[in-house]
Amino acid sequence: MEFPRRVATFCVVLFLALVARAQALPENDWEIFLADYCLDCHDSGSAKGGIDLEWSLDASLSGQREMMEKVIRQLDGRMMPPVGKFRPTEEEYSVFVGKLVERMDAYAEVHPHPGRTETLRRMTRYEYQNAIRDLLGIEIDAKTLLPPDQSSHGFDNITVGDLSPALLDRYISAAQKISRQALGRNGDSPDSRTVRVKPDITQDGHVEGLPFGTRGGVLFRHDFPRDGEYEVRINLMRDRNEKVEGLSGKSELQVLVDGGVATSFMVSPPEKRNDHTKVDAHLASRIKVDAGTREVGVTFVKGAPEIRQTLRRPYESAFNYHRHPRQGPAVYQVTITGPFGADSSSMALNNKHLLGDAVELSPKSARSILRRLVQVAYRGMNTEAGYANAMAFYLESAMGGSVEDGFEAALSAILVSPNFLFRIERDRPGEKPGEPYALNDLELASRLSFFLWSSIPDEQLLAAAKARRLTNPEGLAAEVTRMLADPKARALAENFAGQWLYLRNLDSIQPDGRLYPDFDENLRRAMRRETEMLFENVMREDRSILELLQSDFTFLNERLAKHYGIPHIYGERFRKVALRPEHGRGGLLRHGSILTVTSYANRTSPVLRGHWVLENLLGTPPPPAPPDVPALEDNPVDASLPVRERLAAHRDNPGCAGCHSVMDPIGFAFEYYDAIGQFRSHEADQPVDATGAMADGTKFDGLEGLESGLVNRPELFARTLTEKLLTYALGRGVESSDAPAVRKIVRSAAVDDNRFSSIIQAIVASEPFTMRMPEEK
Amino acid sequence: MSHFITKKSLSRRTLLRGVGASMALPLLDAMNPALAATVKPVRRVGFVFMPMGADITRWKPEGKTLDQLPPILESLAPVRDKVNVLSSLELRNAYPGSHATSNSAFLSAARAKQTESSDYYLGTTVDQIAAKEIGQETQLPSLELAMDMMETVGQCDNGYACVYQNNLSWSTPTTPLPAEAHPRIVFENLFGQGGTKAERKAALERRASLLDFVREDMAKLKRELGASDRAKVDNYLDTVREVERRIQRAEASVDENPLPDLDRPVGVPAAYADHARLMFDLQMLALQGDVTRVMTFQLARETSNRTYPEIGVSDPHHPLSHHGNDPDKIARMAKINAFHVSLFAEYLEKLDATPDGDGSLLDHSIHLYGSGMGDPNKHDHSNLPVLVAGGGAAGVKGNRHIDFDKVTPLANLHLTLLDRVGVRLEKFADSNGLVEELAV
Repeated sequence: MEFPRRVATFCVVLFLALVARAQALPENDWEIFLADYCLDCHDSGSAKGGIDLEWSLDASLSGQREMMEKVIRQLDGRMMPPVGKFRPTEEEYSVFVGKLVERMDAYAEVHPHPGRTETLRRMTRYEYQNAIRDLLGIEIDAKTLLPPDQSSHGFDNITVGDLSPALLDRYISAAQKISRQALGRNGDSPDSRTVRVKPDITQDGHVEGLPFGTRGGVLFRHDFPRDGEYEVRINLMRDRNEKVEGLSGKSELQVLVDGGVATSFMVSPPEKRNDHTKVDAHLASRIKVDAGTREVGVTFVKGAPEIRQTLRRPYESAFNYHRHPRQGPAVYQVTITGPFGADSSSMALNNKHLLGDAVELSPKSARSILRRLVQVAYRGMNTEAGYANAMAFYLESAMGGSVEDGFEAALSAILVSPNFLFRIERDRPGEKPGEPYALNDLELASRLSFFLWSSIPDEQLLAAAKARRLTNPEGLAAEVTRMLADPKARALAENFAGQWLYLRNLDSIQPDGRLYPDFDENLRRAMRRETEMLFENVMREDRSILELLQSDFTFLNERLAKHYGIPHIYGERFRKVALRPEHGRGGLLRHGSILTVTSYANRTSPVLRGHWVLENLLGTPPPPAPPDVPALEDNPVDASLPVRERLAAHRDNPGCAGCHSVMDPIGFAFEYYDAIGQFRSHEADQPVDATGAMADGTKFDGLEGLESGLVNRPELFARTLTEKLLTYALGRGVESSDAPAVRKIVRSAAVDDNRFSSIIQAIVASEPFTMRMPEEK
Repeated sequence: MSHFITKKSLSRRTLLRGVGASMALPLLDAMNPALAATVKPVRRVGFVFMPMGADITRWKPEGKTLDQLPPILESLAPVRDKVNVLSSLELRNAYPGSHATSNSAFLSAARAKQTESSDYYLGTTVDQIAAKEIGQETQLPSLELAMDMMETVGQCDNGYACVYQNNLSWSTPTTPLPAEAHPRIVFENLFGQGGTKAERKAALERRASLLDFVREDMAKLKRELGASDRAKVDNYLDTVREVERRIQRAEASVDENPLPDLDRPVGVPAAYADHARLMFDLQMLALQGDVTRVMTFQLARETSNRTYPEIGVSDPHHPLSHHGNDPDKIARMAKINAFHVSLFAEYLEKLDATPDGDGSLLDHSIHLYGSGMGDPNKHDHSNLPVLVAGGGAAGVKGNRHIDFDKVTPLANLHLTLLDRVGVRLEKFADSNGLVEELAV
């Protein structure tokens, strides 16, 4: 059918639009809307952006899910038609989108499509670390044991179906190391560990967790495998000329174990002025420690008031070493070696995770201990066979050696079994292809615990699964409530928000030391913590997710408050701080973390910031730049031009304008904040111009306008957060077939004031979360 | 040994059965009927990847020799007699231009399936083809190294899974090999924890028995799954066998190769150059100890925003590479290029100073250095900056600038390197011939 769109004059179009408004769209609404607003660019002939909507005139809507969902998204975000073209009224937009949504959702009711999470997915290393903590009660640093995971769709738990030889090799080494650690067998012979402090940590203030009246140093947890003597050796930070930094007078250095002073040293300048070789040579001592995981602190006693070290420029470059040297000595690394002269009492004896109800490792307790470990490690699946295998391993090694040998072998075996390393969702025999099936209780338990805790289910959750309470909606909701209240739900802030908001990238960002000499590791950590704490606060207090975007409080310690110019906040401890408008802080968009990860080392990037908002808050990321177009900001546009003129220059390039006319105006809203998130009124002698606009053309000046723009359309942010959470929860990309489920979640959250738990509960109750498509034949 | 070469090709299996694994090396010639009768192949090969191309005007030498080294390559002067620069090479399969494909095509010359999910598909990379032949005799068939410790999110090319941008090496079209950036972990992979001979052997036995356990569990799992998932478990089982084989090799080499007397590196050096030097040192040790014969090393990831204040470049590399033809920016980018080359040059000098057989370690190994991009400003994959070093023992000459008359696939060079290490293929990816000029 050839639709006579070309004959439509402006008047006819206007008339039809008016009719549409009056009658809430007539029967052939789709065709009229298309003709009015879309087909000038998206007919078969022009098909701008590769989008051809002309075919849809003939096809049934529901058969074209993917395209329809794309159209809905563009219209919902008011991205199309672009500002400047002939656009529908606000009412036309909402009526028409509403109608489309209604049709798509009705179709989905009849044709459910929960998608298919892959059968075999190994744990990410973050999950692995948590699983070990929850299984064995010991802390490990998985980053030193396993290679990083690859990210797809913004998360690292998507492409986890591979198992390379190098990875299997590492899993074996990790399992052996962890088993020894859990059993306290590292203590059979002296071993050593070195903890190094990052060079760009400023050690002028109090370190959280160490006693007041101390300065700098480091605090870490260490497993002491046996009662015995351990050597602690400390090296001090040196400059490029190998001189110990900050040696102006004497200072006392203390070693603390679980808060008590275990030993102390005096640090003095060298007798011969330039010979620093021996300055820290005497900082070694043997101390007696009882077996167990203990907090070890190494720190200086704070002396008479010194010149505030925050005046120091901590960046590790010659420039800073010479002009801004440290004012006091700093800890570089701590090495613990031992045990020496250990007795046989091992830390395993205090480990309830490992022992369960048993009192000791013995041939008698082996059965009950291993049965329970297999049960938890394999998440209740395959436990009988798994137990038999582990027991066989135990017996083989215990017969040739000791009971501990047996446990070590069995534990290593459990930790390398695919039943532990992989999350497995087995297909049901006899399921019909194309017809979704419901997950069973144990599968739901795993999905839940990895979603909310990034870890394996605890025994309570497994018990709920065994009692079939998870396939019952109320039982499922009750477990979600319990799990969200558990401290382990912190994983959502650390792992989910860390990836969603790009907080993870903070670690790899090194702002230019000459432009931002104050940026140090302390600040980097404080920034990340602020955002995690805001997210966790919204989660714990079950606030509206919109408070992530607009809030009148935040979380600060002295370092970050100083960075923000907010007075009267002292000490390393983070606390909730009520904000006043003149502080210029509040929601996520004003967090130093976000402002820094969306900047380059030496300048802000409105493009990266605009892209970040579109991708992570609005869910309408622009397509990738065409390859032959240089990144827009790097075009030879005179940097001294005011922002406004630079933008105008950008728009001259038609190859860029399509996307950048949406991205840049959003990004400009952030211009009052520099590349490390500090407030600025001028940039290179030009007053900052932070005027910009939303995709729908609403103009604003600065972040306030952008934030209101976001909050005024709460469903867009809710949809994006839901999609991100769903991607993370399912371990697969969210597809157009998931859109009806996403809308359902967003609707049910909206009636509940968009409270955090309402989104989580709705996700967990959704079809994609509770069901799965069988294997395609 | 040249009198062993016959015109008949022997299968590797025949050889191994006949003389035992530890003896097979010199006889590799016998499997390669195509090699000229007077030269032996070298048995070690390394690939070093530089991200985001280079300023080709400061890279490409004038004339046909390297007597006048252009600014980026100046640091190669001490070893120029063992270096060849190759110009007019391209990666056709990397188009449409992107950072993901610059990395993924560099050693595969293959087209990356555009996907962000786990159905990624590329091609087996040249190093892994070499590893399947010459890597079988050593403890590690190959070693994959990189410099970036941090996992990043949201920074990979849109439309391409991060595996394309992060992994240079692929052992099959669907198996990217993750690279290691932590020097201590690399050291432990190469040389283990140390200890006495008996302790090391006992440790290997424990690993072998754990592997048996994994295999049994996998086999059981396989029976519970549908067809396509069973294929996946088959891949896992291949992985298990591969690790088993490595353990057997390591057991054999406990006796043959005494552990070098080395301190395990503790952490990661803070300065980029120190870290890179340590990674190069580890590669040299691996070659010396014959722990591996095939290595890949990524000097930085594509789209890396690393800054190089130590050489006075405070701009992040990626935006700088989109220089928009601004001469200042190009000059700063070229400084980064020269810095990367200088680290490689130091490594070559060290290899050349290490005696091996009748020459140096450099003569008895061959190294490819380059990028999967030519002009990064346009994401262009032609006029690639590429050079080859070493290989003298396999008849590779030096001090040459080989500028092809017509655009030539990089795969031709890969095919040639394989030939020089004794692996004879008819074709590799889009190759259409050998680079004969290297040995003429």
